[in-house]
Amino acid sequence: MLRSEHVMARVSRGRVVPHRLQTSDQRVLDVATELCELYATHLGQPRAVLQNALTEREEELGPHLDARRGFRIVRALAKLLEERADWQPPTAADPYTIRTRLFELAAALPKPPATEPGLLEATTRDDLLSQVASETALADPEFIMFADRQGAQVLSAFDRPEPEALVLRYNVAQIQGVLYAARELVVDLGRDADARLVFHYVKLMGLVYRLETTSRGYRLHLDGPLSIFGGTRKYGLRLAKFLPGLLLTTPWTLSAAVEWKGRDATLELDSESGLHSHYLGPHERESQEPDEVRAAFVRAWERAKDTGGWTLYTGAEILPLPELKTALVPDFVLTSADGERAYLEILGFWSERSLIERVALVRDARRRGHHVLLAASESLGASKETLSEAVRGEVVSFKNRLASKAVLEALDHA
Amino acid sequence: MIELFYESGTLIASGLPEDVRPPEPFLWDSRTRQWRAPASAYREISLSLRGSSTPYRDRAAAFEKLTLESRVAMEPRPYQRDALTAWRRADLRGVVVLPTGAGKTAVAVRAIERVGRSALVVVPTLALLKQWYSILQDAFGDSVTVGLLGGGYHEITPLTVTTYDSAYIHAERYGARFALAVYDEVHHLPAPKNSVISKMLIAPYSLGLTATPERPDGGHDLMPDLVGPVVYHLTPDDLAGTYLAPYDLVRIPVELTAHERHEYAEADAIYRDFLKKHRLSVRSPEDWQRFILVAATSHSGGREALLAARRRREIQAGAMRKGATLENLLRQHWDDRCIVFTKSVEEVYALSRRFLIPGITFETPARERKEILDRFREGRYRAIIASDVLNEGVDVPDANVAIILAGSASHREYVQRLGRILRPKENKRATLYELVTTATGEEFTARRRRESTRGIPV
Repeated sequence: MLRSEHVMARVSRGRVVPHRLQTSDQRVLDVATELCELYATHLGQPRAVLQNALTEREEELGPHLDARRGFRIVRALAKLLEERADWQPPTAADPYTIRTRLFELAAALPKPPATEPGLLEATTRDDLLSQVASETALADPEFIMFADRQGAQVLSAFDRPEPEALVLRYNVAQIQGVLYAARELVVDLGRDADARLVFHYVKLMGLVYRLETTSRGYRLHLDGPLSIFGGTRKYGLRLAKFLPGLLLTTPWTLSAAVEWKGRDATLELDSESGLHSHYLGPHERESQEPDEVRAAFVRAWERAKDTGGWTLYTGAEILPLPELKTALVPDFVLTSADGERAYLEILGFWSERSLIERVALVRDARRRGHHVLLAASESLGASKETLSEAVRGEVVSFKNRLASKAVLEALDHA
Repeated sequence: MIELFYESGTLIASGLPEDVRPPEPFLWDSRTRQWRAPASAYREISLSLRGSSTPYRDRAAAFEKLTLESRVAMEPRPYQRDALTAWRRADLRGVVVLPTGAGKTAVAVRAIERVGRSALVVVPTLALLKQWYSILQDAFGDSVTVGLLGGGYHEITPLTVTTYDSAYIHAERYGARFALAVYDEVHHLPAPKNSVISKMLIAPYSLGLTATPERPDGGHDLMPDLVGPVVYHLTPDDLAGTYLAPYDLVRIPVELTAHERHEYAEADAIYRDFLKKHRLSVRSPEDWQRFILVAATSHSGGREALLAARRRREIQAGAMRKGATLENLLRQHWDDRCIVFTKSVEEVYALSRRFLIPGITFETPARERKEILDRFREGRYRAIIASDVLNEGVDVPDANVAIILAGSASHREYVQRLGRILRPKENKRATLYELVTTATGEEFTARRRRESTRGIPV
């Protein structure tokens, strides 16, 4: 993430256009490479040294990149590299103890410690330093006395990115920077977008959403609890952190109301904007197995002679659960000949905590009158009884493959 | 029965029958299907529910009663007592305006003691965060642990100090835990970003402190809504002579050594030639950026001009005689309490290393900072060095000598900095030294600063 002073954008006809670098521009790649190199060559060196080197380089590199904004571009790139750096204290000794001892010794003198030895045999600064050195068996108390300062920290690790990756990260970071000033984010999700993933990030960032159905999918209005009392920029940071989550799926378009340089403006983006997420996706994504279970189930359904008038859809449908500040996105939608609607959620192999959360969503959706069937593999560990108790309803359990017959039976049951 | 909950900086009313709406300013939030109000409406809502004898259960308020008794013997000055009375008459909600050095914090300590419930103190800088920490620890350390939120600290206790920046981010998590909100330098609160802070706190009681309530953007009009009206106002003139100690101002011009003067003249000539050639003038940080830009892209003499500019600044800042003069002053005042103000944080550490005198900057950990100031107060340390960061009324107990090693020219900063050594003490006459390098830019800065101190006895 960038600091606000690194963020650059221009406004044209009420639209904010964040600053962007081209990965096809060799000058840009050269600068990115050089900055990565600078960090890499400073491994094991103090932060202050690297910072000085950066200041010097930015005065040279900046203007070559962009006459007006070169400095800021270089600084922003360096800031993003900083996130990939690890720093360690340079010594195991406790600087606080050393300096306190020195200050106390100096204050106890009848005159300030002399900088140079004189005829009067007054205690000198060097006398005090060697006294503390011998007390502590540390060679250089003068250095150690402030070794706990940030500038003295040593670069212990640097996760060097490819120059292209740095530039791509920069482009997203600039947009995120504009979003710091956002009051609201409106996202239009296409039907093929991974709504489950999107809601994962909505919940993770503590955002509040409002959902509308559109002809192409869904529209999400995102802001925060306080927003109903008048737009606030308070949630801008969270909206900014939400963005890379959204970038993991497609298709979507978004627009954000931002206050840019005292003017109201709009930021517009879509999934074709050539942006790349640096997020790895939800912490624990399901293993591949449930995907196979789902695919096998679809095949079984297609082969089935009689589906009792039920039609199976794989398209994502969102069941909003406003009180839980999230939504359930079941795996399948089932519609009957007479217009009845049911949903099928296949429980994957989650950790216990995710499982409990997932089950809570199903229970809440059922409480709201949605007809949600839950299918769970026996290898999940939880007994059928426990699960059906937890979701207050029937659970279809299966061994390796989920049979269409079992689902149809459960549908008839209800 | 109506139940009130706290959720992310807002109040939620639940358990209402379909056709009943909770009192103003609750709004129906269709996004989450709940009645919602800003947390700051807690006082108004509680009073209204009580007034209409509506039964309700308060599951929002999470503050506790504290038995606080200040262990520091403080006989409040008459105006401090008046300020507190005025605040109490205004139902424990309002702003107290007192000049720097008049003991605003003492009023706050009394207010916290008086309310006797969990309190949150919000301050603008990390230096102040640490200063408040030591004041509250001194006063109430026996009865509560003082918590810190911000500057790398994240310890929430019933008596917590935080910064405006941290409160902006975290208040929504802890906003139900405090009954009293104290805003130091409250003129920061109406800033667009900061005003959200008070909305997220349920604190029914609030106290704002400042010497300068007016804001150039007119934001002070929001103050009554955010913390309450100004309940007490005293100007420096009201206190001059009675409570503020007199002091002498001694200005010491520091001349460059012959060698430095020569080097300076050389660098200066290169630098000025370049400026002239490119029709530039440098008066602000933006001008400076502009100069660097032009110099860095210029093919003839740009690099030399950059180096010259840097060298010029170095000579100015590191003038040999400045160090020697400081050494002299320290020797002269070794038996006084002496505080040295520098222009930069780096200078603090350089001088601290050179003279083995403790330094205080925004980087200094809270506990060490308190220890240094305590020892300084006790006389165990004779002198301390502090950077510009010590702005906005930072307390330096019992210093009677201050040495300024060139600061930036700012009206308020200078006035407040002067105020700091003006601690009333019997028969004490404070001395303020200002070391200014002559024939360099610093002379101009010092003049500009002095010109803006009209109204202050010099």
